[in-house]
Amino acid sequence: MAHDLTKKQALVRMVGFGIASAAVYGAAFLHANAFTELCSRGGVYAAMPIATVFLVSYVHGGFASNLWTALGITAKSPAKTVQATQTKRPEVRATLNA
Amino acid sequence: MDLALDSLKFIDLTTSSIIFLFIVGFIGGLVSGFIGSGGAFVLTPGMMSLGVPGTVAVASNMCHKFPKALVGAIKRFRYGQVDIKLGLVMAASAGIGVQVGIKIQNMILAAWGQAGSNLYVSVSFVAVLVIVGSYVFYDAMKSRNGSGKDETPALALKLQKINLWPMIHFKTANVRISLWFTIPVGFATGMLAATIAVGGFIGVPGMIYVMGVGGLVSSASELVIAFAMGLGGTINWAMHGMVDIRLTLIILAGSLLGVQLGAIGTTLVREVMIKIVMGSIMLIVAVSRALAMPKYLAQLGLMDISPDAVAIMDKTSFVIMCAALALGAVIILGAMFKARKAMARQAAQEAYGQA
Repeated sequence: MAHDLTKKQALVRMVGFGIASAAVYGAAFLHANAFTELCSRGGVYAAMPIATVFLVSYVHGGFASNLWTALGITAKSPAKTVQATQTKRPEVRATLNA
Repeated sequence: MDLALDSLKFIDLTTSSIIFLFIVGFIGGLVSGFIGSGGAFVLTPGMMSLGVPGTVAVASNMCHKFPKALVGAIKRFRYGQVDIKLGLVMAASAGIGVQVGIKIQNMILAAWGQAGSNLYVSVSFVAVLVIVGSYVFYDAMKSRNGSGKDETPALALKLQKINLWPMIHFKTANVRISLWFTIPVGFATGMLAATIAVGGFIGVPGMIYVMGVGGLVSSASELVIAFAMGLGGTINWAMHGMVDIRLTLIILAGSLLGVQLGAIGTTLVREVMIKIVMGSIMLIVAVSRALAMPKYLAQLGLMDISPDAVAIMDKTSFVIMCAALALGAVIILGAMFKARKAMARQAAQEAYGQA
């Protein structure tokens, strides 16, 4: 993970994604019958349900991800392995003690 | 004013049906996020029990499956568990398997009708789940008391040593194996997906025991296969206008919450838990499908059974199927809870030690 969110950051993002998700669901279900009919026309209209679920997976997926982080349910980060630091040894040089 | 829908194709949504779909979606998502698949098998019969026609139920289920798999795969990719190359190679041969599976289904349907087709599906369900599920469960129990980490199975080790061109190296899985050994696994995954709608019951054990991929990477990469197959299937169903977007969106609302929780769970528990959950679900679902078989045998005139007994067996079969999913969810949540508690205790001890 490149960047771990704090609970507060996750909460802010959760609210943002939550509003977007509610807006998408609200728009879909406000005229549910008309929208369902449009999505089931077949042919090129097949793009409608597919585009809708991609949009939902982004906004609702973002909401869900931040919800679990805000609740403190996060993945366990992999165990930190101590790597031996390589120090450069002085080169052995043949010297002439004259 | 909103227009009226075709009542033969689309059901009227009630509060109870919305709650039912949301909850099953959530639990299904949780299981899929954890074992890579297996969450969607209750949804098709579940929707049909609400009165949704079979084809619309299959199409709407598939339309929710691929975005769920996408979200789960992205989440688990961030945890370093997904081998995209493995997923795509498997998905290519699985695509061929799906086409062959559909052809076989159509041939059986033409020869023996709907009852024959249903019997074929149930026999495949029971045979695959009993054989593969028993082995997965046995292996899980065997390694439960050990380190909990996967050891490469003997068959996979032998196959990996055979240098048959072209050899493929899967970096995240850390496996080098001939393409020819990946094809049968992918093909069988597709065949099973076309037959019982859950290819992962073959795909994940196949990757573990035939190819030697670890349980974590197998279950995570299965999400890539599910995405590719689900997207292909959805395009096909949506072109025929079979998707009920209302059902898809309700299920998706629950499953996107569940799939992320399941993905988080894989980082908290021991790797062997994936096999335990998968084996348990497979064996219970086998019992459920075995109970559905007498109905089809009676329809084909091969068995004599009263309609009352058939009705009872049908209901029991569905309840057992739901129980399988619920048990999977309980095992996952229980293991996550225990792991978090242990982590908190360890952190407290470390803090005490530093003070």
